[in-house]
Amino acid sequence: MALNDMTLTRREMLKGAGGLLFVVGAGGLASVADAGGETARATDALAWVRIDPEGAIRILFPATEMGQGSSTALPLILAEELDADWDDVVIEQLNRDDRRFGNPAFGNVLYTAGSSAVYGYFDALRQAGADARAVLMQRAAALWQLPVSELRTEPSAVVHDPSGRRAAYGTLANGAGPLAIGDRPAPLKDPADYRLIGSATPRRDVPGKTDGTETFAIDVRVPGMLYASVLRAPVEGETLVSMDTAEARAAAGVVEVVSLPDGVAVVAETPWAARRGRDRLSVTWTETAAARDWSDAAALEVYAAAAEDLTSESAVWRVEGDAAAAIAAADRTMSATYRSDYAYHAQMEPMAVVADVAEDGSRAEVWAGTQTQSWTQRTIAEVLGIGADAVTLHMMPMGGGFGRRTALTQEYVRDALLCSRATGRPVKAIWTREDDLKHGWFRPAAAQHLRAGLNAQGGLSGWQHRVATPSVIAYFNPLRWQQVAPQDIISMRGAESKFYAIPDFAAEHVITERMARVIPWRGIGAAYTSFAAEAFVDELAEAAGRDPFAFRARLMSENPRGRHLLERVRAMSDWDRRHPGTGRGLAFAGYGDTMAAGVAEISLDRDSGVIRVLSFWAAVDAGLLVSPGNARAQVEGGIVFGVSSALRERVTIERGQVQQENFYDYEILRADAVPDIDVYFATGTHRPTQVGEAGTPMVAAAIANAFHDLTGRRLRHMPFTPERVREALGA
Amino acid sequence: MTKLTINGIERVSDAPEDTPLLWVIREELGLTGTKFGCGAAQCGACTVLIEGIASFSCITPVGSVGDSEVTTIEGLSPDGSHPLQRAWVAEQVPQCGYCQSGQIMRAAGLLAATPQPDRETIRSVMSANLCRCGTYPRIFRAVERASREV
Ligand code: FES
Ligand code: FES
Repeated sequence: MALNDMTLTRREMLKGAGGLLFVVGAGGLASVADAGGETARATDALAWVRIDPEGAIRILFPATEMGQGSSTALPLILAEELDADWDDVVIEQLNRDDRRFGNPAFGNVLYTAGSSAVYGYFDALRQAGADARAVLMQRAAALWQLPVSELRTEPSAVVHDPSGRRAAYGTLANGAGPLAIGDRPAPLKDPADYRLIGSATPRRDVPGKTDGTETFAIDVRVPGMLYASVLRAPVEGETLVSMDTAEARAAAGVVEVVSLPDGVAVVAETPWAARRGRDRLSVTWTETAAARDWSDAAALEVYAAAAEDLTSESAVWRVEGDAAAAIAAADRTMSATYRSDYAYHAQMEPMAVVADVAEDGSRAEVWAGTQTQSWTQRTIAEVLGIGADAVTLHMMPMGGGFGRRTALTQEYVRDALLCSRATGRPVKAIWTREDDLKHGWFRPAAAQHLRAGLNAQGGLSGWQHRVATPSVIAYFNPLRWQQVAPQDIISMRGAESKFYAIPDFAAEHVITERMARVIPWRGIGAAYTSFAAEAFVDELAEAAGRDPFAFRARLMSENPRGRHLLERVRAMSDWDRRHPGTGRGLAFAGYGDTMAAGVAEISLDRDSGVIRVLSFWAAVDAGLLVSPGNARAQVEGGIVFGVSSALRERVTIERGQVQQENFYDYEILRADAVPDIDVYFATGTHRPTQVGEAGTPMVAAAIANAFHDLTGRRLRHMPFTPERVREALGA
Repeated sequence: MTKLTINGIERVSDAPEDTPLLWVIREELGLTGTKFGCGAAQCGACTVLIEGIASFSCITPVGSVGDSEVTTIEGLSPDGSHPLQRAWVAEQVPQCGYCQSGQIMRAAGLLAATPQPDRETIRSVMSANLCRCGTYPRIFRAVERASREV
């Protein structure tokens, strides 16, 4: 494989390649090693940075790449403070669960989610770069017998202006010289001096994604490899009663049939033979699982009843003052219930993993695209009962993630391992699209009940937001749930409505029974909580007789940057100029600390009930943009994702079985339905906040509010399918 | 045994004739730039040119290809320098990138038939291919950029 683990690099380095290795410890950069010397030999260390004598600067990428672009952005942050010439930088993927490189935003678990890579690693990477630069300057000072204070750096070189001396980083990294890191963290750049952060530096992975050379897990080929296709129990919890494998085994190319905990794999010489073999299996499953009773419609009814029953038990998500009292004391009380269905990730690369398990089961090499080195390595170790040292992992770029590849236990990895162990050969297990959808883990269905009071002046008096949905964390990561219960950020994010100042506020999680496999999905809770909250704000503004901008601005008395976004998006969308036959809707949401104001303009075919989103304007404050061009791409993509989810995406479940099969019945947005998108980014801060998911949460409410603008009717059940639209119109 | 001409080179496949061309290209011949997305002519990740026409290789039996010239992303240019590929880089289109070989091959089919397509034509032709990352706005711009060059 082309992807080098730093440990492999180190091995070749021990042959005497020389250079400098910047070793990381628990608290960041710990020491520097002469890569050819004893120190490196003695240290089983990975490094943030390795500088080769030839001048290549190898920077570790500790997250994983699913399209969000942090494989460029993270090394860029380090390179900025190192003052590296970007052309010298080689990016190397971290391929193991080494918590010294973990994501500070997730307690140092190697976990790429929550739009957290750039903001989570921002400080650690800058400091590592600055510390490494300081070492190079000291080496130059020693070499030239000059005080370090007289030196400066320019891209990939230390310079002494008075004497005109100049030494390339590669030269300084070679041979003898000081290796010590200063006692104190090296000073960081003045942001005004940034030349990489905030620049138009292109993504490194783009050329390989235009000529077919980028290698995803599904593309990995190793000698002697077989292919597996898995017939899975149709309902969660069912197990195998009996099977007849004779026909499958007789099919051309079939090598083995392997029983799995929740399925049967046919392993064959080619992927097509595996598929044909699987079609010939005849399998009887149990029919007793509790999940046989699951249906999406029933789940939503139960959830809605729980949300509306104010006496039902709930976990406090955020509380300020006394919402119930304020609502009771208000001149007018408003309430509404919003529903949202299960949604599927539809990442374009179906699950695919290559595993090569040693014949005695003592070692494994795995190629997988997941959002976490930690949990993938853990899955491998658990399935095979081997230690982390016996695992060689290759974290492949993913054909989309969106939360699907985050779970603590990864059945797609497990299956490839079990098939390889059973056959003694490397196996590529590929899910079909139907497998990926029918056995998907979804954004949970949710019912939300909102209540608020309005006073005589049209102001808000109390806000209560009850979200009835299962705990996502309890299912997709039970270990984590032990630490955080009953606070479920995956189920609840967004319901805190933290951009508004509402004195009497309550957001509550009514933790309902899980009736599908659930997992994070782009925007996590905010994908539906912001729909409900911002659609409800629109209803309140209307009831109060106020302009939707003014009503929200009043809630942002302490949030001038938020008000700025409102003003911007009003101007961008030319809000006050109405176009006949179209509706306009506003929403203010965002993700985490990132704020986003969005305006949707829609048209409607009243006969068919089809909504078309014509334009979407967004004003976003994501703090400092490390890669502005990519940030824009992420927000654009997040908006497209949001439109797709709001208009069409719906998983239905009957008797525990997902009813959809493929893109013909789970439709995602196509090119012909994409709105014109215009994005503005606020400037003026020095810290990045979340980008990857920031575009999505505002979209559904903006569309629902535009629908009200156009028709006077409310859409309170997402997605806004043609049937629901016609129903809302009373047709 | 099936004879194929792929990217101008004669290849031989041992796969049964009903095997989709996609799997032969990817797994037997090792040209993995062409992707599997749905297997049902729904997503376009598997798009290749057959006699210059953008086609879903996932539903094309290898036995049906005959003498037709097949072009995959690897054969579009020797070094990624096709105007579409350069436009894709200039507009920084890809995110995860998984759909992009198919998008580029779809666009190549479009420009071969209609060198100067308008935005509506681009939208409608490119609707055969899905992009979950939502790169559509950039795809439109990249096709327009390339169309100014070819
Ligand atoms: S894989 Fe051929 S169209 Fe989706
Ligand atoms: S770039 Fe990810 S699916 Fe298109």
